Amino acid sequence: MNYFVQRLAFSILSLFVLVVITFLLSHVVPGDSAIVAAGPNAGAEKIAAVRQQMGLDKSLLTQFGLYAGKLLSGDLGTSWFTHQPILDDLKRELPPSLELVVVAMTINLLVSLPLGLLTARYNGTRFDDIVRVIAMAGAGLPIFWTAILLQQSFAAEWRIFPVAGRLGFDNRNFDGATGFYLMDSLFAGRPDIFADAVMHLILPAFALSLLFTAVGVRITRTAMISEFRKDYVLLARAKGAGEVRIMARHVFPNGATPSLTVFGMQFGWMLGATVLVEEIFGRPGIGRYAVKAVTQSDIHAVVAVVLVVGLVFLAANLVVDILLYALSPHKRSGS
Amino acid sequence: MTLLAKDTIGVPPDDILTVKNVAVSLTKGGRTMVSGVSFGVRRGELFGIVGESGSGKTLFTLSLFGLHGETEISAGEITFDDKTLFEDGKRRRLGRILGCRIGFIPQDPYSSLNPSMRVGRQITEAIYLARGTPPNSRQCRDEAVALLAEVGIPEPETAFRQYPDQFSGGMRQRIVIAIALSQDPALLIADEPTTALDAFTQRRIIDLIVERSRRRNLSVILISHNLELLRQSVDHIAVLYSGQLMNIFETADLGRNPLHPYTEALFECIPSVNKTLTDIRSIPGEPAGAGFGLTGCAFADRCAYVQDICRTARLPENTGRADSFSACLLGKGVRT
Amino acid sequence: MTARAEILGYPKNAVEKMALIIAAVIMLIAIFGGFLAPHDPLLIDFRSKLEAPSWEHLMGKDGSGRDVLSRLLTGAQLTILSTFAVIAVVLVIGCSIGILSTFLGGWADNLLMRIADIWLGFPPLILALGFAAALGASLEAAIWALIFSWWPNYARLSRMITADILSQKYIASASALGVPTWRKVVFYIIPNAFDVLIIQLTLDISAVMLAISGLSFIGVGAQIPAPEWGAMIADGRNFVNTAWWVVAYPGLAIFVTALSFNIIGDMLRRELDPTLRRNT
Repeated sequence: MNYFVQRLAFSILSLFVLVVITFLLSHVVPGDSAIVAAGPNAGAEKIAAVRQQMGLDKSLLTQFGLYAGKLLSGDLGTSWFTHQPILDDLKRELPPSLELVVVAMTINLLVSLPLGLLTARYNGTRFDDIVRVIAMAGAGLPIFWTAILLQQSFAAEWRIFPVAGRLGFDNRNFDGATGFYLMDSLFAGRPDIFADAVMHLILPAFALSLLFTAVGVRITRTAMISEFRKDYVLLARAKGAGEVRIMARHVFPNGATPSLTVFGMQFGWMLGATVLVEEIFGRPGIGRYAVKAVTQSDIHAVVAVVLVVGLVFLAANLVVDILLYALSPHKRSGS
Repeated sequence: MTLLAKDTIGVPPDDILTVKNVAVSLTKGGRTMVSGVSFGVRRGELFGIVGESGSGKTLFTLSLFGLHGETEISAGEITFDDKTLFEDGKRRRLGRILGCRIGFIPQDPYSSLNPSMRVGRQITEAIYLARGTPPNSRQCRDEAVALLAEVGIPEPETAFRQYPDQFSGGMRQRIVIAIALSQDPALLIADEPTTALDAFTQRRIIDLIVERSRRRNLSVILISHNLELLRQSVDHIAVLYSGQLMNIFETADLGRNPLHPYTEALFECIPSVNKTLTDIRSIPGEPAGAGFGLTGCAFADRCAYVQDICRTARLPENTGRADSFSACLLGKGVRT
Repeated sequence: MTARAEILGYPKNAVEKMALIIAAVIMLIAIFGGFLAPHDPLLIDFRSKLEAPSWEHLMGKDGSGRDVLSRLLTGAQLTILSTFAVIAVVLVIGCSIGILSTFLGGWADNLLMRIADIWLGFPPLILALGFAAALGASLEAAIWALIFSWWPNYARLSRMITADILSQKYIASASALGVPTWRKVVFYIIPNAFDVLIIQLTLDISAVMLAISGLSFIGVGAQIPAPEWGAMIADGRNFVNTAWWVVAYPGLAIFVTALSFNIIGDMLRRELDPTLRRNT
């Protein structure tokens, strides 16, 4: 219990630091935003008035207080280019990205864990060498380039998958309750939309996951190899346990735990990288939104994205911590 | 597995394990690590294998039963429990030997138990693998708890549910012994079971092994680098150096057996109450690693009696499965 | 400290030798690329845009009629040197913090490492977007953003190594002899940390390079018309159907470079990491 409180406290502290950083980025760094807000041709008087209106004449600390206060009430400001409250924008843009990351992460885990385990077991064999080479190559492929290549070949040329978007033309007006089309379509009893959404997800998710999976296989393999070397595996063999039992019940539970931490971090990194495939596959998402905001100099929107991603990332970290705690009951006991 | 009447080939019927001219080589590269080892372990007896680090004692013993990942048997014959394990260059299928006829106690108690599996589960798993009793059944559980009590774990019911890191090194070693015993083996192999433990615990663990084996009429192979410990605990000792079998002797009456110069030197290294500091010798030079081969005696460079023939002649082997054997080419050794 | 020349003895097969050669060649190109370019990388000629590869223009021309090969060679400087800049700064800052943290010990050490842990996981791309918004989109902003995101890697690593070394007996002896702290750092810690750090370095080179080109691709790093490889791909994206060379070659360049450093990193790990050595 104490451990949890500690971690939670630390997460809250991190969140606070993040808020400070975003405050600095949005209020301090860009220079005088009053000038920009007042518009061109504004006289010194107008600028001063705008400045007062925006609260920029108050002390830094007060400004920070106001800022934090607004955040807590959910007011993230209004976006210049969408002219909507940023919070609404995020509610619209976050689910597609999260959906993409969840699918990509699933692919990652489904491939990394078994391959890591098997290559560790058959360490030094042809199979191991082949997988390692593929993993090394995969770790060198830029995500956006892979996305382009995949799009060109599987979608444009061979027409197996759709080229862009989240849904096909026929379903373009589908409006799910949560924004997660995979869930919404099932709730609405429309398996056809579900299939459509899946088809649109495959290429982007695969492109996104490739790099991380290559790394994931590596990490898992190293963890599993070091487990295979341990004496309890020797003892299990001497007990007469078969290979399958040794791999599934002894090596895997012990080897997967350290890799879990890395996978947790990859979740955050993937979320940051969604922009690379969103651009190419024409999918909406926070990445694209943030890039648009940057090009439009909408600092508040960008900062809001940073905050939200930070929040998701901290939450993911906490989840991983909980999982680690649950999976390692032996660490709970004091010795 | 073929059941052969082994008396015709000279294998005593009351042997649990007989090895003849066995050589062990690395699977990758084929380098021979241990060569020409022959000895026999009787049913119910305690047999010690002693040697310095790198002498090949663990490598050899594990390889006999295919437990070493990087080696294979390259020559000789191995017979276990009247069944041929290895003959004419081919290994016969090990079948169910590992799980039910052999018990193994590894060296490091801190890594020989699965850290994320409850202790009780590790025992019930062993029982299940040996006898097929469902691991979650009451019967299996009771057996496991009884074993924990037998090896001296206090509050065995509680211990059953605990994890290995809640136990000290000595306790963990006891648990490992319980696991080995749970499968009701015919032969127990203890690989330096006390090296990682303090002197007091060492004594207790060895006593536990000896006592439990006598009680169950188990044969035991005890591997150690501690000659004195073995001398006090086992019936026969085989001495390995650099992959060569140097000596076999009975511990009961040391004077009657031929002792190899190496063994002699080892005994002189042992501190005891009766010796002064200057009486305790050390053996000059560095120990050679395993893999010396059969030409010449590996100990030649460090031996006090060395002569030219020691480096050139082929090392004698104990093909007669004698209980007393010395591989010294000069026939040296303490005799009555 | 392993002698630099030893690295020549490491490669075990043709692939690894190739990787070393390619990496060396690429680093040379990064320094001298500008001189090697056969044409002016910035020369626009709309009449000849999207020209297919020919003897004159080995990699064809992009959407503005610029020679792809020349852009690739000059752009190497941007991509590669910025990567190394990030790595160099991150190495120094990260290691300083890590070593300092170990010497501070106690709750300060704990806190710093926890901070590093959290910081490590924050998506660098998003942070870079934040920087770009605040400072304006440019390669410099991207470099700063990556430095800002990457230092915890080295802080943690160097802290781990330092703590490990400090717990060794020979340090206690050195202390007893009166060896001052700074000497300990320079002569004991750094040489021993070198091996582990260099493995991490080579692997990070490919990761940072992918990040930099990625940032340029989405428009918050190097700006078009700079011939940074990621930016080149963004520039040519729309023509990928008809003029594949505009996207293929820069991507290939990134891939080959990253892959070479990955292979080198793997080779170094095999040679230098004692925990991975097998017992014979």
